[in-house]
Amino acid sequence: MNATRSILATASRLGVIGACMVGFGSLRLAPALAQDTMPPPSEGPGVRDAAGVALNAGVIGRLINAAKPGDTILVPAGAYREHIRVDRPLSLIAQGRVVIDGMGSGDIVEIAAPNVTFRGFIVRDTGIDLDKENAAIRVLADHAVIENNTLEDILFGIDLKQAPDAIVRGNFIGGKDLDIARRGDGLRLWRSDRALVERNTIHDGRDAILWYSQNVTVRNNTSRRCRYGFHLMYSDDVLIENNELTHNSVGVYLMYSKGVALRGNRLLANRGPSGYGIGLKETDQFSITDNLIAGNRAGVYLDGSPFTNLKPGDISHNTIACNDVGLTFLPSVKGNVIAANNFVDNIEQVCVSGRGELTGNEFAAKDRGNFWTDYAGYDADRDGIGDFAHESVTLFENLLDREPKLRLLLFSPAQQAIEFVGRAIPAIRPEPKFFDPAPLTSPVRVATNSSPAPSRLALAISGLGLASVSSLVYLASRAFSLTIRRKGTVA
Amino acid sequence: MSATALETREAVEAHAPGMISNVLTLAWRELRDALRARSFLLYSLAFLALGLGVSYVSAASTGSLGLSGFGRTTAGLINIVLLVVPLMALSTGAGAIAGDRERGMLLFLLAQPVSRLEVVLGKYLGLAGALVACITLGLGACSLVLALQGGATEPRTMLWLAGLSILLALSMLSVGVLVSALARRASVAVGTGVFLWLALVFVSDLGIMAGTLAMRLPVKSLFLATLCNPLQAFKMWALHSIDASIDVLGPAGLYAMDTYHDALPWMFGASLIGWIVVPLLLAVVVFSKRSPV
Amino acid sequence: MIRVDHLTKKFGSFTAAGDISLALARGESLALWGSNGAGKTTIIRCVLGLLSFEGTISVGGRDIARDGKRARSLIGYVPQELAFYDDLRVWEAVTLFARLKGVARVDLDATLDHVGIPDQGGKRIRELSGGMKQRLALAIALLGDPPLLVLDEVTASLDVCGRAELVALLGRLSGQGRSLLFASHRADEVTSLAQRVLMLEKGRVNAEVPVNQFVAKLGAGSVLHLHMPAPSRALAMELLRGHGFAPTLNGVGILVPVPATQKAVPLRLLAEARLSVDDFELLSPRDASLGQENHA
Repeated sequence: MNATRSILATASRLGVIGACMVGFGSLRLAPALAQDTMPPPSEGPGVRDAAGVALNAGVIGRLINAAKPGDTILVPAGAYREHIRVDRPLSLIAQGRVVIDGMGSGDIVEIAAPNVTFRGFIVRDTGIDLDKENAAIRVLADHAVIENNTLEDILFGIDLKQAPDAIVRGNFIGGKDLDIARRGDGLRLWRSDRALVERNTIHDGRDAILWYSQNVTVRNNTSRRCRYGFHLMYSDDVLIENNELTHNSVGVYLMYSKGVALRGNRLLANRGPSGYGIGLKETDQFSITDNLIAGNRAGVYLDGSPFTNLKPGDISHNTIACNDVGLTFLPSVKGNVIAANNFVDNIEQVCVSGRGELTGNEFAAKDRGNFWTDYAGYDADRDGIGDFAHESVTLFENLLDREPKLRLLLFSPAQQAIEFVGRAIPAIRPEPKFFDPAPLTSPVRVATNSSPAPSRLALAISGLGLASVSSLVYLASRAFSLTIRRKGTVA
Repeated sequence: MSATALETREAVEAHAPGMISNVLTLAWRELRDALRARSFLLYSLAFLALGLGVSYVSAASTGSLGLSGFGRTTAGLINIVLLVVPLMALSTGAGAIAGDRERGMLLFLLAQPVSRLEVVLGKYLGLAGALVACITLGLGACSLVLALQGGATEPRTMLWLAGLSILLALSMLSVGVLVSALARRASVAVGTGVFLWLALVFVSDLGIMAGTLAMRLPVKSLFLATLCNPLQAFKMWALHSIDASIDVLGPAGLYAMDTYHDALPWMFGASLIGWIVVPLLLAVVVFSKRSPV
Repeated sequence: MIRVDHLTKKFGSFTAAGDISLALARGESLALWGSNGAGKTTIIRCVLGLLSFEGTISVGGRDIARDGKRARSLIGYVPQELAFYDDLRVWEAVTLFARLKGVARVDLDATLDHVGIPDQGGKRIRELSGGMKQRLALAIALLGDPPLLVLDEVTASLDVCGRAELVALLGRLSGQGRSLLFASHRADEVTSLAQRVLMLEKGRVNAEVPVNQFVAKLGAGSVLHLHMPAPSRALAMELLRGHGFAPTLNGVGILVPVPATQKAVPLRLLAEARLSVDDFELLSPRDASLGQENHA
């Protein structure tokens, strides 16, 4: 308790400085309110009400109440234990470190008026009531700008409800340490068209989800350890660009949406129970281009997409690498054009779960196919296109598609043995799953940044360390000899 | 005659070095020979060449695309370890006792003040040292190549891989030594070693596959049956140590993660250590009963 | 030093040693005498604790079956032929066994000098001649100065010269308060090294006699079996007939019946005539006739 007390005392002292700064600005601020942030001289840091609520509770609320529409309120640094409702068009801007603490109950900030800017705050500790959807910032009106805030220990982060034309930018949103089933969404848009969501970092939440929101742009965001990095429900014409979505259950999950473009995203190590880099369910008129999709359980998962035959699904210029399965198709999926992608070392490059047909999809466009690391042919005429079509015929994969449990035996030499038998004996060779008529013989350039490499020096040092163990063993074998003088006494 | 008889009953003071000293001395000789044996050199070169090949190729394919950290290098290295290390350890172990017995060396050795336990442990330790040298050299060189190629692998991964490969080698060495203690002739011992290698590397996996497909083996039995194979225990542990998960192994892997959670590494460890301790104990028992000629 | 009570060792249905009892006092020297298959090597291997057996054997008061390691620390053992890791250098082998025997310091030069192979420390074992190997084995057996030497047909694989030198060396060593248990089928070795002789036949004790009665017990004469290159055999036959012997040819050499006091005379005669003898054996008349029958 003592520690808390002294922090609060410091905060309120800082508040005085903040108030002075306000005085120098051309901003409106009721003088009486500034006094409120000042501790009365006679009172020590121990003064507080019986519930332990700090002296400056309700301060921001009173600032808002005193403001006129269009005002800018500079909130002095300090810790404020209060719940705020912004009911008029205002700019609330944190001066220094401003913490708004919900003390574990309810929503914290509610923006009920249009054209509100809320910038630079630290908002923390919402309630944990999933039914009431306790949120750090709830926006109920249009043209809100929610910028550069840090939301900590919250159930829902930023919740836009019928709040079109919002800008959500540069926020850092961290969920509560709860079981995934009890978490809320770090970011939620509900019927909020034309929003711009950029440069946010969301971690340890449930989803960042768009419901019925059209023409939204989602760019340069980072999402880690969430359930779905970005989740679209019935949201059309959305651009998802240059985001980095790692270690989520699913990177981007598109459902029942159309006109979605995924471009330049990095979808890495999304390995939850579903574990898709990109999942598409009954999504239409989509394009997936220039993404790096690596280390996921399934790189791209296609279920009923494209949903209509208006426009073929465009999957091109992606690097799909080192996933357990590169592309997973549910049996009836058709109408995709998959061209100019790099399929690099996926354990299984393409899988049709339930052993359906892939004939309704094209693996080449304009006579250019994809780059496959398992392509066994060659390019004698050096036109960059392999002289034989790429067909995936592997007995072991065939077994795995039929009996997924057998993945347990992956990487075993027995796997190679089975592949060898499959190649050697045509009678038991399975039908090819798909057919790329024009496989590329060198990788396609993909416009995403590369990951930072682990330290080469550390790796080299480990290598030297390991090698030195072997020389130690060798020396040990000689050491026995070294204890002895050749001509003389043996010690 | 009676005076003689009386005299022989007195205990004569007898010094013999302690067990640890003898084990180390015997281990030294075994290590010295193993490091100079041509077969061992061949294994080391094969391991080195395959490992470097995998490192080079995988670093080239994923490195150029900027895919650090997801390299299939580790999977490739695991695959090679699974092929080479058991063969190396089994055949080395199989040659350990049977060869000496056949050439009469065991007779002279056991006529010295050593116990049979010391001889088995000494041989085991010496050969283990040689295997450790071979594995660390091979994987160390791979790490260096990977570092030069662009470092697409975490150092931690290589260290884990080396440690677990050593455990695998120790378990297969144990089995080899047991075979060697049982066999009358060196050629039979080495043949049996190679047969066991085939059985552990291929036959058991193929059997499990056939069982799963034919008898609809439930996922639990599948996992436990696989766990019993030290090679698979090594593989699963290696994957687990790198990703903190074996979900890459599909439904059975997920089942294991969900069912056993944090106990998984202990289970892998128990399987490998069991394969080290039990065959070695049996080898000591068998060797103590068998004639050295 | 050694006490063997009712030792029986069977290999399947074959009894290699049946109900053998013997005792060897400190400083005493006992020979196990008999032809091949008489059970000498079996007894020695049982004494070393290398084989399992019925009965009890103690060495220096320690039961070989239960306390084998310490019992063996009292024994220096020399086998018929040193089969050991050929790749080791002599000094490495000496070091290895010194460690196993718990000998803290060994003067390598003195050790090798003592058995007559000075300056061989740097050679590999495989580079040594048969005689040198046996000397190395002896040097190893003597490490730590054990009170008991156990020798198993140590001269069997040596040529005449090597054998004589090794026997002379052993003679010097046995006179230093060491007990000696050795197996041999050569009467000359037995007479020059043993104080008592256990005469074995088909795994059983035929007789136990002091060495002075051994020659008499052996019978009036023996048959000397000489191994020598084929071209010189005819000359040798002629020479021996000229000195009153009655040699006969068999497949690999010459059989010469010799009286008990003149067993080495044919060797001397041949040596003086510069006819080389590769090897020789002393057979009882009955063994010799059996050998001839086999050849016929």
